[in-house]
Amino acid sequence: MPKINLRGVEKNYGANAANAVANLDLEIGDGEFMCLLGPSGCGKTTTLRMIAGLEHLTDGEIQVGSRVVDSVTAGVFVPPEKREMGLVFQSYALWPHLTIERNTDFGLRLRNLPKAEREERVGKVMKTLGIEEYRHRYPSQLSGGQQQRVALARMLAVNPEVLLLDEPLSNLDAALRLEMRAELKRLHREFKTTIVFVTHDQWEAMTLATTIAVMSAGMLQQVGTPNDIYDRPANRFVAQFVGNPPINILELAAGSPADLVVRARSYFQQRYAQIEDIGSVGIRPEAIRIVGPKTPVPEDAFAGSAEVSGILPTGGSWIIELSTAGEKLFLTTHQAPEIEVGAMVEFFVKPKTLHVFDGAGRRSKTADRLLNPAVLHS
Amino acid sequence: MSGQLAANSSGSSSAACPPQLVEGGRQDAADRAPASAAQRFRYKLRIALREPTTAIGILTAALFAYLIVVPIISMLSDAGRVQLGDERRIRMEVGDFTWYYIERVFTSRVASSLFWEPLLNTLSVAFGAIIAAVVIGGLLAWLLARTDMFGRRWFATALIVPYMLPAWTFALAWTTLFKNRTVGGQEGWLEALGLTPPDWLAYGRLPVTIILALHYSPFIILLFGNALRRFDSQLEDSARILGAGRLTVTRKIILPLMLPSLLSAIVLIFAKCLGEFGVPYVLGLPVKFDVLATSLYRSISSRQTGVAAVLAGSIMLIGVMTIMIDAKLIKEARRFVTVGSKGAMDRLNPLNNLRIPATVFAALIFVFSVAVPLSVLFLSTVMKIPARFDADNFTLDYWIGTDLNTVALQTGILLSPDLWNAAWNSLRIVGVASIVSGLLGLLVGYVVARTPVQPLATFLRQVTFLPYLVPGIAFATAYLSLFAVPRGPVPALYGTTLILMLALIADQMPYASRAGIAAMMQLGKEPEEAAQIAGAGWSRRMISIIIPIQKGSLVTGILLPFISGIKGLSLFVVLAVPSTDVLTTFSLRLVDYHYTQAANAVVLIIAAIAYLGTLLGQKLTRTNLAQGLGN
Ligand SMILES: Nc1ncnc2c1ncn2[C@@H]1O[C@H](COP(=O)(O)OP(=O)(O)O)[C@@H](O)[C@H]1O
Ligand SMILES: [Mg+2]
Repeated sequence: MPKINLRGVEKNYGANAANAVANLDLEIGDGEFMCLLGPSGCGKTTTLRMIAGLEHLTDGEIQVGSRVVDSVTAGVFVPPEKREMGLVFQSYALWPHLTIERNTDFGLRLRNLPKAEREERVGKVMKTLGIEEYRHRYPSQLSGGQQQRVALARMLAVNPEVLLLDEPLSNLDAALRLEMRAELKRLHREFKTTIVFVTHDQWEAMTLATTIAVMSAGMLQQVGTPNDIYDRPANRFVAQFVGNPPINILELAAGSPADLVVRARSYFQQRYAQIEDIGSVGIRPEAIRIVGPKTPVPEDAFAGSAEVSGILPTGGSWIIELSTAGEKLFLTTHQAPEIEVGAMVEFFVKPKTLHVFDGAGRRSKTADRLLNPAVLHS
Repeated sequence: MSGQLAANSSGSSSAACPPQLVEGGRQDAADRAPASAAQRFRYKLRIALREPTTAIGILTAALFAYLIVVPIISMLSDAGRVQLGDERRIRMEVGDFTWYYIERVFTSRVASSLFWEPLLNTLSVAFGAIIAAVVIGGLLAWLLARTDMFGRRWFATALIVPYMLPAWTFALAWTTLFKNRTVGGQEGWLEALGLTPPDWLAYGRLPVTIILALHYSPFIILLFGNALRRFDSQLEDSARILGAGRLTVTRKIILPLMLPSLLSAIVLIFAKCLGEFGVPYVLGLPVKFDVLATSLYRSISSRQTGVAAVLAGSIMLIGVMTIMIDAKLIKEARRFVTVGSKGAMDRLNPLNNLRIPATVFAALIFVFSVAVPLSVLFLSTVMKIPARFDADNFTLDYWIGTDLNTVALQTGILLSPDLWNAAWNSLRIVGVASIVSGLLGLLVGYVVARTPVQPLATFLRQVTFLPYLVPGIAFATAYLSLFAVPRGPVPALYGTTLILMLALIADQMPYASRAGIAAMMQLGKEPEEAAQIAGAGWSRRMISIIIPIQKGSLVTGILLPFISGIKGLSLFVVLAVPSTDVLTTFSLRLVDYHYTQAANAVVLIIAAIAYLGTLLGQKLTRTNLAQGLGN
């Protein structure tokens, strides 16, 4: 049974504004670690706040467990204080006038728990997060990372079934962020909480999530496992948003005379004439192979030649920039390239690693079936 | 896991770019119709009514409509209706519409003494005071902010003192020095020394202008000085590098950029002068020098309600026009302004051999605006005969004596029950009003920051700002108009302490609500939302989160109005009766009865309270006075 169910959820902040969130249907399963991923301003925070009840809906319905907590048509609104969720704000929003201990204790006091139990639970959660020693300090006396732990502890203390996190790691430095990521994953296992995690950082989403929901301009683009999102992006937006360096896109529909585009067009016409309406083709940088003595071109591959116009070492791997008349391609490799800038190289791409999008930018099902017949397509 | 299932069915195999939505969603998603307008309204209403925020907002809005808007409307309508007692003179029924009062004030034979002369006097005094204050205050601000004058830190505090004291403190000091035989009672010091000061020096336009100029120069020092300090010296440097001389730089670069802050200070002074009652009352009466405020007061004392309403309406109109002109000018001037960048001034202009004259100038201003008036007031309360410095002329009788040979007030002021009564009244009335307005201000801030009903927020913001446009004495007139007689279930409040409290609360709301809104906006929604998520209902959030966090600004929001209320005069002079005397009206009454020493002693007490209160406020809030300006 899904834990959280959003149906046709819409949010509009003002009569003249565009929808911050439009017609959102999303199911978040019990015990899931769901990442809402998308560029800044795409409506992630708004979605999270609507789930928490801090923002009311313009239309639609939200159900948590078996209870409808928010519905415009049914006129239902359960206030945030009755939804029994935890929310960690991007700014942490610790209460400046309470000590760390009192901050953590606040929710338990509201629940009128006996003192002994409160102390035990506060002690446990502070220990788990390593903030015991600051228990008598005030929030302003802690560093960003410590504050972030307190914000988490405050929510975990009441042991909510749903934990909502709004870019909680974005204010931390790189090392701390890595550490906190591991910690979040551990907490997820330990407390068995359903987590909804908002981020604009694809790397964070990929490493943490069991499921990712990609959003853009208030609209849900795709829901799937991290691998789904990366390997089978549902549309051009998702393909381009996820992946670094970004996916190479060849615009076939635009009628470009560039050599590579002409080649690609004839490749698809000759081999996959059944695919109608090809708008563009996406090629992940790691899917491009350079032809060498040990790597011959497979018979069915899409191949071409180009000049190496740049080699960028990124520590352990390399980004190679290829130029053919009017087009640039990026490829990544984990082997030290044995070529030099200025050299002409042959390259190829296996058909099953090609992403074909139609004129409207949607992933072509026909292409999936033809290019990768080994996989069962639903 | 079902999430995975959902993902498989709705996501990975088929998805769309905007604006199409994800295909293959569940069946019910596809055929759900959007909510109807009625459903949306019901949902919004439920949310709006769920929390007390909206209800409180509506209640406070109704309260302020009654305490602020209704009195003003009542007063304005008095201006056009026959008042009780005038029906035979006007030959119409009470309550009928009439032009009589408007004609009387603007075009009749007495119009010139009722309105036009007082208007001219008000304008001349205000502009005189503004020009003098800009010259003196501007020079001092520059010396303090941008030069190496001696003792700048000390002067920065000392020169602000005149503003902390009630303006008519200086008027009383002036009469103590310059009073001549035109008026009865104890003679002035100069007269006692055998030099009779001419009337033009002792009373009227000149002393009023000088006193207001000295009293309001601190406005310029504070506001203009702040702007000067924030001024980016790189702008000046670039002009100098391009070859502009020092004067050119001042004229072409610094002054235009300083204009907005100078304009606000000037407008603020004008608005204050417009409602200034105490100074012209003390110094103008002997020579029949009337300004609008005293003319209005005279109409009220002689129970000419209709005329008073027209006069108060005119003062209010001038106030509104001033603020509107200010808003426009500031908007114009702001277009050029780039004050406040990082390269603020830390470099000072060396005064070289002007260093000592500059310091002497600042010291002289301090002597004339603080030291002399306060010492004169104090000495006058411990001397039997003015200006005679023999040892046996000194006495503490006026403070703590008994069996004094006077008609009333036969004991020293500190032993007089009237003083303690007035002090208690001051404390009680001003204290209650300040606490209530501070809390209401925070509440208004809360509603404005939180209510989902935008029009309510806008209305609250505007209605609480309204008294700012209405000088105190005109506002008091409005209260008199509404509450002097019983109306419906509300009994006549005139003569009670309640009317004073209500008027004071309403009068302080612009500052209280501004402070409350700023505090709530600065706090943001999140700490409260975090408590809400944790499970705290509305009242718990108020008690455990909002009020404790806002404690500091609440203290300021109570203390600042308290200080301005303690030294305030114009509201009380209209609305207080002998039994509800506060310190200020008590001292004014003593002035009327020519008990000079006692009056001066009371004023010194008020000045001490105001000064200490301001210091306390600064200490508690660690801010400087500029933020409390306008109170
Ligand atoms: N309180 C608000 N009032 C008006 N517009 C808002 C408000 N909050 C967010 N928005 C707008 O809604 C859109 C989505 O915002 P948000 O949900 O914060 O995006 P994200 O968290 O993905 O960066 C943005 O265009 C933003 O400007
Ligand atoms: Mg956000």
